[in-house]
Amino acid sequence: MTESEERARLHSATVAIIGCGGLGSNVAAMLVRSGVGTLRLIDFDRVEESNLNRQLYFRDDIGRLKTEALGDTLRRIAPEVTLIEVVTRVTSSNLVGLVTGADVVVEAVDGPADKAMIANAVCCALPDMPLVTASGMAGSGSANEIVSERIADNVYLVGDLSSDVRAGLPLYSSRVMVAAAHEAHVVIRVLLGHQEP
Amino acid sequence: MNVDVALFASLASFQPDGMPGRHARVIEFPDGSSVGGVIAELGLPDEPRVVFVNGRHADDDVALSSGDRLAIFPPVGGG
Repeated sequence: MTESEERARLHSATVAIIGCGGLGSNVAAMLVRSGVGTLRLIDFDRVEESNLNRQLYFRDDIGRLKTEALGDTLRRIAPEVTLIEVVTRVTSSNLVGLVTGADVVVEAVDGPADKAMIANAVCCALPDMPLVTASGMAGSGSANEIVSERIADNVYLVGDLSSDVRAGLPLYSSRVMVAAAHEAHVVIRVLLGHQEP
Repeated sequence: MNVDVALFASLASFQPDGMPGRHARVIEFPDGSSVGGVIAELGLPDEPRVVFVNGRHADDDVALSSGDRLAIFPPVGGG
């Protein structure tokens, strides 16, 4: 594929991002900077001061819907990007309708039960939909422990798989960003037709 | 029947051989065992998990066959 064909491929792509927190907000920015044409930003939450340590929001965003605040920031990077902002809490019953038609789905929520629900629902209802999911990015362990790998036909897993925020480990921006960068890069590779081993 | 079992992250410690690491092992189960039956036999904790058989999502009631590849992944929190 030539460089212009790659640009066209990314420009014509739609990526659904479930969760616009530490992972999702940064994944969105990296995809927009890489030329992905359309993003569905899905989140129900509003920006809080405690989010500013790792999420792509600013002090004057506090109190705003994350989808709306993130949308404004992404349009400052790339005014031509198409953004579909969906303000809802994702459940097993609404998830499939929210992501159908996307080329790739990015799981970017924080709770393990929600992560499992999203993976199970997408893989069950849309087995051919590429899903990028993340697990294990808390704490101050080496950034090199965070990897991306294909764990099923269309499922790509990012993280060290074990560092759990519930164990009292803090979420450092640097390590969350490493995981977000892995997720974004897997999306780009999938869109460009690369196959992970 | 022999099933190729890969247990990710914290579940690796439930491999019958007690060895660390999440590389797949071949484990023998009674013929006709379901995914849920294998999970019970391995004694996996009742925590959120994602299950794949031969690279595709599988519910607990899916019956396994000899030679199947079973992978179980437990997400952890943070994002």
